[in-house]
Amino acid sequence: MGRGLWHRGIVSSSNPVQSAVEPLEKLQESSSDAITEQMAKSLKYPDFFKVAELFTVEDLFNARVHLGHREGSLNDHMSQFIFGSRLSHLIFDLDQTATLLREALNFTAHIAFRGGIILFVGRIPQHQVMIENTAKECGEYAHTRYWQGGVLTNSTIQFGSVIRLPDLIIFLHTMNNVIYEHTAIRDAAKMLIPTVGIVDTNCNPNLITYPVPGNDDSAASISLFCNLFKAAILRGKEKRKELLGVH
Amino acid sequence: MASIRCWNSTTPEPSSKPLTSVPASDTIKHEGSGNQLIKVSKAMKAYQEKAQALDALMFEKTTEYEIGRRHLANMMGEDPETFTDEDIDTAIEYLFPSGLFEPRARPLMKHPTEVFARKKVAEFDETGRPFHVLFYTGLPNYYQVLHDLSEKVRELDSFSDRMMQYNIHKDPERTLNVGGTEWVKKEQLEDILLEKLKDKQYEFFVRSMNRLLDHPFSYRVEEFIMKFRKHVQISVIHKEIPKLMFTAEGTPYMAAVGRRKTSTASVTVYGRGSGKISINGEDLLYFKYIQDREQVLFPLQFSGLLGKVDVVADVDGGGFSGQSGAIRYAISMAVRSFVDEQMMEKMRLAGLLTRDPRRHERKKPGWKGARAKYTWKKR
Repeated sequence: MGRGLWHRGIVSSSNPVQSAVEPLEKLQESSSDAITEQMAKSLKYPDFFKVAELFTVEDLFNARVHLGHREGSLNDHMSQFIFGSRLSHLIFDLDQTATLLREALNFTAHIAFRGGIILFVGRIPQHQVMIENTAKECGEYAHTRYWQGGVLTNSTIQFGSVIRLPDLIIFLHTMNNVIYEHTAIRDAAKMLIPTVGIVDTNCNPNLITYPVPGNDDSAASISLFCNLFKAAILRGKEKRKELLGVH
Repeated sequence: MASIRCWNSTTPEPSSKPLTSVPASDTIKHEGSGNQLIKVSKAMKAYQEKAQALDALMFEKTTEYEIGRRHLANMMGEDPETFTDEDIDTAIEYLFPSGLFEPRARPLMKHPTEVFARKKVAEFDETGRPFHVLFYTGLPNYYQVLHDLSEKVRELDSFSDRMMQYNIHKDPERTLNVGGTEWVKKEQLEDILLEKLKDKQYEFFVRSMNRLLDHPFSYRVEEFIMKFRKHVQISVIHKEIPKLMFTAEGTPYMAAVGRRKTSTASVTVYGRGSGKISINGEDLLYFKYIQDREQVLFPLQFSGLLGKVDVVADVDGGGFSGQSGAIRYAISMAVRSFVDEQMMEKMRLAGLLTRDPRRHERKKPGWKGARAKYTWKKR
């Protein structure tokens, strides 16, 4: 099993790919060198947490992830992810979506594995509660409210003391409203914080580290994405628990 | 590491692991993360030290307060065990009389929890991970309340959907009664949440809570709603309504005095009557104008006593408008004794029981009247 299977467009994923993974060695004495070694080992696998098992292209289709907006609102940078359009409604290429989603989930799981802080961001009121609940259920953080300017770039003054910034930001919605992008995208890029984002046809994927092209307007699709990210994070944390033995 | 803790400490137990800087390799390796984690550990250490210092201070102050209370009780000759906070206030006032006008400048002895404001405990652990899900919003407690509110609205909506299947609608018996209460004010909400809020955020909170309250099944979330409602002081001072008096024949009557502008009316309202009205010995036609006659009859018509009581009025001073107003007020005050509380409340709301305080305002020199000025000319 090599990197070749992960090239875009080659694998049609109605059957999720399985990969054999060596279980991590239980540590006799927990020294930080041993931990580092084990963590470095986890990077050698293309899908250490088997995130590919979490979904199929059919699941994406049933959750209406492939539905984009109308042709007129298409952001030029998104045209590479479009399969076509039907009656001027754009359709995403779910094979590309699946590949990118797997990468995003894999990255998220690795971050969770290493005890990183993950922040869920999304500004659409209909899905606020769902996103906050997702964050709570996987023990991470959410910000679905008005974004105060200095949260990332001026955190010491904003919060009154030195705080630890998020190590990953997951955007369920990259837009604040119809025209403007969420400030956190630019700020995360400034602070060198990697981002994962669900980008719709009217969004700009440029500053997002792991863009996932897909529908961000249906409750079904957002619910699916929330559950997938939650599952990936929980898998990462489980492995971390195994490794460290405590917490 | 032994830490001074008293019985009412609010800080969490410091974890058993000693506070060392987290190895950078154990977490994400991106630029500056090692530095950041060491800084965070320092911040956490500072937080813990502050919390411990605060705990120690509170313990010290509480012990001092208790000793002081016992001393005061002994001085006043009371039982130290049952010496309450109110007793302390009276004792201080007696032992340390102060001629100062400002109450807050006078000698004071209150429990340390009332003197020292509550503060938020440490918000993140030694690895830097915040405790609260919504920490990065800057107002975790406020947004948590809004989150709970949304969840409750959803719960109630799904409940009402289920009830609709069985054709059960809003139950008037179980409607939530919030009479005599109002939403907490902005300052009080800030005290509850320990967070500073903007006016808009407070207004949004009130609007959202009203939406929850207006739900037909809001009684199911009474506990949550009542957390943010406080009882209102009844503003109306219930005056003693004089009891009815009886004549020699046994007819009930009530007398009252009313004033309006420079007129004074003394009125007696006799029960078991037939609607006869006598003003200065004359009929209702004492007043030439219909408006004045209406003013006299209004309290009787409003309380439903129009043909049931007799009115005898003596009025002096002023003109027709003042006199009719004075009689009206006097009749209203007398009618209070004939009528139940609900009607009395209605009369109060109608303005019948308010003494009209307006007096004639003098004309000022250089002005056309009391307020009117002469035409202003630019040139």
